[in-house]
Amino acid sequence: MMDLTNRQWVKHAVTHPFEGFEDMRWKKAGSMKYAIIIVLLWFVASVFYNRLYGFQFYVSADKMFNVIPYIVRTIVLFLTWVVGNWAVCTLLDGEGTMKNIFVYSAYALVPYVVSIYLDVFMSHFLIRDEFVFIEAVRYIGLGWSVILVFSAIKSVHQYSFLKTIVAIALTIAAMLIMLFLLVLLLSLLQQVYVFVYSIYTEIAYRLKV
Amino acid sequence: MVFVQQKLKKLVVIALAGIMTAAFSASLAVSAEEHYDVYNYDRWNEAIPSQAGYLASHSVSGQDLGIGDFSAPSDIFRDAYDRFFIVDTGNHRIVVTNSELTEVVKILEEFTLPDGSTTTLRDPEGIYVSPESDLIYIADYNNSRVLVCDYEGNVTMEITKPESELFSSELTFLPQRVIADKAGNVYVVLGNITTGAAMFNSDGEFQGYYGANTVEATSQVIVNYFWKLISTEKMRSKSARSVPTGITSFDLDDEGFIYTCTQSTSQKTDTVKKLNPAGKNLFSNLGVTWGDFESLYDVNTARSYQSMICDIEISDDGNINCLDLTSGRIFQYDKEGNLLFIFGSASEQLGGFTEVSAIESIGGRVLVTDSRKDYITVFEETDFGSIVHEATNLYNGGYYEEALDPWYKVLQYDGNYRRAFLGISAALLVEGDYEGSMKYAKLADSPYRYNRAFEGWRTEFLSAHLTEITVIVCVIAAGGVGAYLYLKKRRKSTDNGKEAETV
Repeated sequence: MMDLTNRQWVKHAVTHPFEGFEDMRWKKAGSMKYAIIIVLLWFVASVFYNRLYGFQFYVSADKMFNVIPYIVRTIVLFLTWVVGNWAVCTLLDGEGTMKNIFVYSAYALVPYVVSIYLDVFMSHFLIRDEFVFIEAVRYIGLGWSVILVFSAIKSVHQYSFLKTIVAIALTIAAMLIMLFLLVLLLSLLQQVYVFVYSIYTEIAYRLKV
Repeated sequence: MVFVQQKLKKLVVIALAGIMTAAFSASLAVSAEEHYDVYNYDRWNEAIPSQAGYLASHSVSGQDLGIGDFSAPSDIFRDAYDRFFIVDTGNHRIVVTNSELTEVVKILEEFTLPDGSTTTLRDPEGIYVSPESDLIYIADYNNSRVLVCDYEGNVTMEITKPESELFSSELTFLPQRVIADKAGNVYVVLGNITTGAAMFNSDGEFQGYYGANTVEATSQVIVNYFWKLISTEKMRSKSARSVPTGITSFDLDDEGFIYTCTQSTSQKTDTVKKLNPAGKNLFSNLGVTWGDFESLYDVNTARSYQSMICDIEISDDGNINCLDLTSGRIFQYDKEGNLLFIFGSASEQLGGFTEVSAIESIGGRVLVTDSRKDYITVFEETDFGSIVHEATNLYNGGYYEEALDPWYKVLQYDGNYRRAFLGISAALLVEGDYEGSMKYAKLADSPYRYNRAFEGWRTEFLSAHLTEITVIVCVIAAGGVGAYLYLKKRRKSTDNGKEAETV
């Protein structure tokens, strides 16, 4: 029973919101390779969404394009989610390892990522009056993914319904704290850099004079 | 080998053509002769270089007219017979010139009151000449009155400080600008009134106020409102009141709408208004930033300068000229509030100003008075300016197709002119050239226009290729179903085989 290939496991997890991840856990399935591909596809989709969207809906500012915000909004966000969830759920008797959290969460993202690609595709054929179709696809994809993320966290840690909700709320709080610390660290590092650099210029001047 | 040679030849030709076009375009770019950088704003509200719509042609001083220097001229007005009335404030007189500003037709200095005695002006600041009754309205600032007289200087009416409950007796009455509508109602801008222009009926009776600015909803206002709710009467009397800035100047258009402008550094809303007879601002939903978008930071004085619209004027074809006191620039908008041109500067050269005071236009000319330099600068419309005006007027009138040729010409002068792309896109859409319309909508960065053109293109495409599309869809559907059935059958047979093996 359930002798599926890695690709079939992705399909199984996505199409069985309530049992899929339990099955995966039972069979110890799930591939890191596919998980990474999904997250990268998410990043590519977010770039597509900005650059290749149908012109009748939205004009992106062509004067400047910076890829860093897109990396932060997708890959970095996902990594913080994984680390934050792992940190919280280790304390809350969760059974998932970091790797499992990564893989399960990535699988749960599939409907959302697909909906972005579908939106970009549809935006080239529809006009503004028909925007409701694009919106429908977007909300279905998002809703599906939210359910899958919930189910993924529930089965990867073997939590009850209520505990999963608490864990997710705490994870979001942990993510915010992490991002805050990250920003703090960056600005502090910058100040240290400026300090060292000014000392260097000072010494360089003294040596010259 | 021959192929390589041909390719080389082609390359050389292309390179030569490139050099020639570059040289040609370079010679075009030098055509602007102003001493400042002519600019305009693009779709992202960033300043970009542009072609000059107006060039300063000459200046007219009092000496040129043979009447001695002007002294701080503060207003200029063109009447129905194309005569110019120049308010020569410091010399306490009104100078009337011909339409070319070459000779003085009349000087109004002494006025005869109805009882036969004469009176003179003291620092007059504003003037209006009614096209209906030919009466001259003069805002006689330091005499605290508005004089209404005919062309010969016979005063028919004198409007002084009103005795009314609405007008506090503690306030002074110092009129700065005056206009009169078709019904003879007189509107007077007073420097110390923030509730709009004082309005008088044709008999000179005070009627109330018209066209007050609204208070901008800043966070400060909301905070003040909160404190007002919980503070006592005594505390309230000591706190600062949030009042809007009073209007600075106004003008009438041909249809009788009153346009007002407000010169303020703090207020960003209501700086330019178009008022209907009820006093409602028709420009309130336009979302236009009048004047410069970014405030200018001057390193030398360490201050930032923001546009202050000190005078407004509606030209014959409905364009709105706004005069910026801060930068000495004139911002010309069409009647829909689209920016057409920016010209003028703060400098000593011709076309530059130290303290602008009033603006007036006649045909393709714009006249600006400077109360420090004491002369009038005349700007002439350039070829580019006249084509843009032609195209804009046709476009705003709904003649999209007729505007097509002028818009193409505009693009030859200035390939950055966004409104030209919009105009061409609209014209091509009317003509049914959807693909061209889409192309120009894309160049104009207008999703709205693109959407409409795309809708037409899609409908046309679908009806033209309906058979092909149906066939392709049917083939794909049939192929998909067939493949599915085939795979299912094969899987079943292999599964059966597996089961057979295990058993």
